[in-house]
Amino acid sequence: MEMIKLTDVNKTYPGAVPLHVLKGINLEIEKGELVSIMGASGSGKSTLLNILGILDNYDSGEYYLDGTLIKNLSENKAADYRNHMIGFVFQSFNLINYKNAVENVALPLFYQGVSRKKRNRIAMEQLEKMGLADRAHHLPGEMSGGQKQRVAIARAMITNPSIILADEPTGALDSKTSHDVMNIFRKLNEEEGKTIVIVTHDPGVAEQTDRLIRISDGIIV
Amino acid sequence: MRLTILDKENWKEIGATLARNKTRTFLTGFGIFWGVAMLALLMGGATGGEDLLKRNFAGFATNSGGMVPSQTTIPFHGYQKGRSWSIDMTDVEMLRQSFPELKSVIPTFQKWGSSFKYGKNSFSGQLIGAGPDYMTMQNPKFYYGRFINEADESSERRVAVIGKKVATQLFPSVEDPTGKVIDVNGGAYSVIGVIGDASEIKLNGSLDESIVVPSSTFRRANGYGDKVDFLMMVANDKVDLSEVIPRMRRVLYRRHDIHPNDEGALWAINIAEQFEQVDTLFTGIDLLALFIGISTLLAGVIGIGNIMWVIVKERTQEIGIRRAIGAKPRDIIVQVLSEGAALTIISGMAGLCLAALILGVMQSINNPPDAVSVVRFQMSFTRAVSILAVFMILGILAGLIPSIKAMKIKPIEAINSK
Repeated sequence: MEMIKLTDVNKTYPGAVPLHVLKGINLEIEKGELVSIMGASGSGKSTLLNILGILDNYDSGEYYLDGTLIKNLSENKAADYRNHMIGFVFQSFNLINYKNAVENVALPLFYQGVSRKKRNRIAMEQLEKMGLADRAHHLPGEMSGGQKQRVAIARAMITNPSIILADEPTGALDSKTSHDVMNIFRKLNEEEGKTIVIVTHDPGVAEQTDRLIRISDGIIV
Repeated sequence: MRLTILDKENWKEIGATLARNKTRTFLTGFGIFWGVAMLALLMGGATGGEDLLKRNFAGFATNSGGMVPSQTTIPFHGYQKGRSWSIDMTDVEMLRQSFPELKSVIPTFQKWGSSFKYGKNSFSGQLIGAGPDYMTMQNPKFYYGRFINEADESSERRVAVIGKKVATQLFPSVEDPTGKVIDVNGGAYSVIGVIGDASEIKLNGSLDESIVVPSSTFRRANGYGDKVDFLMMVANDKVDLSEVIPRMRRVLYRRHDIHPNDEGALWAINIAEQFEQVDTLFTGIDLLALFIGISTLLAGVIGIGNIMWVIVKERTQEIGIRRAIGAKPRDIIVQVLSEGAALTIISGMAGLCLAALILGVMQSINNPPDAVSVVRFQMSFTRAVSILAVFMILGILAGLIPSIKAMKIKPIEAINSK
């Protein structure tokens, strides 16, 4: 069964010179797959990831996420889907710097209206899984890059989303930490059956995924 | 719908955000604090100022006036100008009968430099002859005893109501001098009361330094005949004295053969007119307070709006992150506005406390124990709450604009902004 199904998705950025970024993307990703998307800068891979993450809309075509058509959503609906179905991991971690690790991890549940006690307990469990229990009350500024990315992964996992979308998750890390982070993704994929999509330009990262999708000049090659 | 306002973390978060940028929080908070304090002081101060001015009129009938005859300035009916004339008791009776709009027409008599004696003690002051209706004009403070009554007046009793200062001079060691017999210009009078000035208005000299005796007694003792020194009148409520006085003038002039246009022949004062001027002043003070108040309010609100703008701008990336992980636009707007509201409430309360403190000091300074009226350097609770509410509503509105604007940015652009 497909977790992600894109049919002839087009996206043009309007402007004095309209930029046709995605030129009919057809893509299927099965449930439980670990895939990587590679492409040169300007190839449209970031735009594709934003559309997959419901952070951006598209002009024509169809995008089904876990059987739900994602098209022309209101901002409220989009926020709701992002919250329940998608876990984001960013290159620059994007943690909130004045909140400690537990609070950062628990934040998505805050927007689901989960009580403070309950969400902190669940956040703590996620941190334990990432091996960060001892860092639970540290601020992001007091943690290393690898630790921060593991906090970010814990945050992405806390709502038990359908997919994890990772945008250059190892881009800001050294090779050893990169390896650790990739191991976490592999483990989540193998042990919990999570569908994971990683955008990267690092062939070493792409090698560790089940499938490599190349995008070039707005089309899948 | 989730009640974000009741969520403890939401408030913890607001606290954390406000604490993160101490300088900014302090400056904004101070702006609101100062605005609210100034506005509250202004309003409380205006009330206090008005009360202080009104105190001058306490114990005095404001719709009243007085008349003193003077020399004529225009020749009339064969009389030269410069002729002296007097108001007499016939005039008084006539005025009483032809002017029902007047509550009272009060003839008074006075003798300056009268000598008052009791034993070895003596005092020189004003002797006033007045009837019981004198009390319709002013309400003196009573220390002991009573004022002259109808029986005193009709029986020409030799009784005296003495001023506070006269009492302390004649009776330095006596607490209550009523019943004592004193010497007034050589005649014996028994003291029936001690009074003092209640009002700052002294139409007839200071009561503190005077002795009042029944007007009938006064006239007999001083061989005054019919001549009235000073005529006072109190009008009924809503009667316009400025319209009554010229008519009184005409009645008096016709009887005394004075040219109808001879303004100088009779000096007349209309207390109501004076009071109206003060009333206009009150309105002026109120308007000024309102103007300055609105300006202060506006400055404060612009300050809040400005800071809200900065808060939203500075946190574009954070807002982007929150939206990526599922914050709805309403969540973000509520968060930003709660921060503004929290800051406004805390700073505003502090401002109100400062204002209350200062007004409290003013209040106790201006209300000594023997004050004739209470001066209220105060502001009603409703007003205080209204100030706070207005600041908050305008502040929230000011914060709404940048918040809504921030929602227009796509979350992904917000995340990538630095």
